[in-house]
Amino acid sequence: MIFFEPFQMPFMARALVELVLLGALAGTVGVLVLLRRLAFVSDTLTHTVFPGVVIGHLMAGNGGIFWGALAAGVVTAVLLTLLTQRRRVSEDAALAMLLTTLFAVGVVIVSRQTGFTADLTAFLFGRVLTVTEAQLAQTAVVTVVVVALLAVLRRPLLLRAFDPEGAQAAGVRVGLLDLVVNVAVALVVVAAVKAVGTVLVIALLIVPAAAARSLSDRLAVIVPLACLVGAAAGWLGLVVSYEASVGHGIRLASGATVVLALVAMYGLAHAAAYVRRKAGLSRARRRSVLEAA
Amino acid sequence: MSERAPTLVLDRASVAYGDVPVLEELNGVVHEGEAVALIGPNGAGKSTFIKALLGLVPVVRGRIEVLGRPPAQARRDVAYVPQADTLDPDFPVSVEQVVMMGRYRRIGWLRRPSADDRAEVADALERVGLAGRARDRFGTLSGGQRQRVLLARAIAAKPRMLLLDEPFNGVDAVSQHALLEAIGSLKAQGASVVVSTHDLAIAHLACDEVCLLNRSQFGFGPTGDVLTPERLRATYGGHALELRGDRVIVTQT
Repeated sequence: MIFFEPFQMPFMARALVELVLLGALAGTVGVLVLLRRLAFVSDTLTHTVFPGVVIGHLMAGNGGIFWGALAAGVVTAVLLTLLTQRRRVSEDAALAMLLTTLFAVGVVIVSRQTGFTADLTAFLFGRVLTVTEAQLAQTAVVTVVVVALLAVLRRPLLLRAFDPEGAQAAGVRVGLLDLVVNVAVALVVVAAVKAVGTVLVIALLIVPAAAARSLSDRLAVIVPLACLVGAAAGWLGLVVSYEASVGHGIRLASGATVVLALVAMYGLAHAAAYVRRKAGLSRARRRSVLEAA
Repeated sequence: MSERAPTLVLDRASVAYGDVPVLEELNGVVHEGEAVALIGPNGAGKSTFIKALLGLVPVVRGRIEVLGRPPAQARRDVAYVPQADTLDPDFPVSVEQVVMMGRYRRIGWLRRPSADDRAEVADALERVGLAGRARDRFGTLSGGQRQRVLLARAIAAKPRMLLLDEPFNGVDAVSQHALLEAIGSLKAQGASVVVSTHDLAIAHLACDEVCLLNRSQFGFGPTGDVLTPERLRATYGGHALELRGDRVIVTQT
C-alpha cells in the first residue's frame, strides 16, 4: 500500500506526524482567520517571522530557529495589533510596508552567509523530511497551547468576529482579544517554519478553512472539518511526493506538494458544494411543482 | 412618573474623541420604563451619544450617569443593538447562536448554556416573532428580521437599559411592528430605552421623550413638547418644513 508503506521509515513517520499536527492546528486557527478576514494580516506575519528565523539560525544553528521565529512572531503580532487598531492609517499600505521591510532584512542577513541559496530555500520552503523529535515536541506543545486558548476564548472570539461594536458594548476587551488572535497566527507560523517554511504556511492557514466553509454553514462542523482537511492534505502531500520521487524518479518538494494537495482538496470541496446546491435546487423545484399539482 | 427611579442622568455633559468635541451641553433625565428618541440629521452625533452611554467615548465635561453608575461600569445591565446591515451576512452563525450571544455574560467562558439560557433565547425569539427561524443561518433572513434577531439578543441579556442605533432604517412594515411591540413590552417591564431614529412618526409612537441633537442639544423633554416645527427647524438647520400646522417634514437628513 503506497498510502501507508513509506511511513515505516522513521523520518517519514516523523514528517507525517509533524504535518498532520500542523494541518490540524492551522485548520483550527484558519477558521478564525477566515471569519475575521485576516488573510493579509496573516500573510504579513508569515513574512515578518522570517528575519527571526534567520537570526535564530545564525546565533544557535538549527536549534535557534524556533526561538528566533518565536521572538519575531510575538513582537510583530504586538506591532500588527497596534497598527490595525488605528483605523485612520491606510492599513493595507502599512502592512505591505512592514511585510516587505522585515522580509528584506531577513534576506540581507542570509545573503551574507556562505551556502546562501540552500539556507534561503530551507527557510522559505521548509524541509519536512529532516524534522527531529525535539521539533515534533515543539509543534505538539504549540498545538495544545493554541487550541486550548482558542477553546477557552471561543465565545468572546465569536462575538468579536461577528459584531465588533456589540462586543465592545458587552465589555469584551477587543484589543487584548485581537492580540491573542495575532499571537496564535504567529505561533502557527513559528511551528510550521521547519516543515513548510515561512512562505507556504499561509496556504495551511487559509485553504482548509475555506474548503470547510464551502461545505458547511455551521461552525460546529467547519472547525473539525478544517482540521481534518489540513491533516489529510499533509498526509496526501507526503505520499504523493514520496511516490513521485522514489517510485518514478520525479523529485517533488514535499512542502509544496502538501500545498498543492490542499488546493486540490479545496477544488473538490467546492465542486461538492456546487453539486449539492444544484441537487438542492432541483429538489426544491420538484417539490414546488408537486405542490402546485 | 416622578416616583420612578432615574436610569439616565445627563448633567451639562460633553463628550469628545480625543481633542475633538462631538456633543456638548447634554442635559436631561430618563426614568425606568421610559423611552427616549434621539433625533437629528446624519453626523449630528447620535451614534456618539449611544457610545457615550456605553462608556466607549469619554465624557470630558459634566456628568453622565447610567443606572446610577459611570457608563463603563453599567455595561452589565445595558444592552446595545447595532444596525443589522453593519454585520456580515455570510457569517456562519445561526439565529439561535446570535441570540445566545446575549447570554454570554451570564454563561461565562467555559460553562455550557443551561436549560435556563436556552429557554431565555427561545422566549426572546418568540417576543420578536421569529420563534420558527432559530436554526436558520442569520444571513438568510431579511434585513428587518435580522434587526429583530439583534433585538432578541438584547432581550435575552435581560437589560435594565436598551440602546438601539437606527433600528428602523430600511425595515419593512411587519418588522417595524414587531420591533415596536418588543420595545413596548420591555418598557412595560421597567427597562429604559434609548433609540436613535430619523423617523419622527416612530418617535411619536414609541417614545415618551425626545432628545434633539445636532452637535449640541436642541431640546430634551416630553415628545409632544419638544417635537415642534421651530425646534426641528433649528436642529436641522432650516431643512424642516411644516405641513398643515402640526406636521413636520424633514427635507434633508
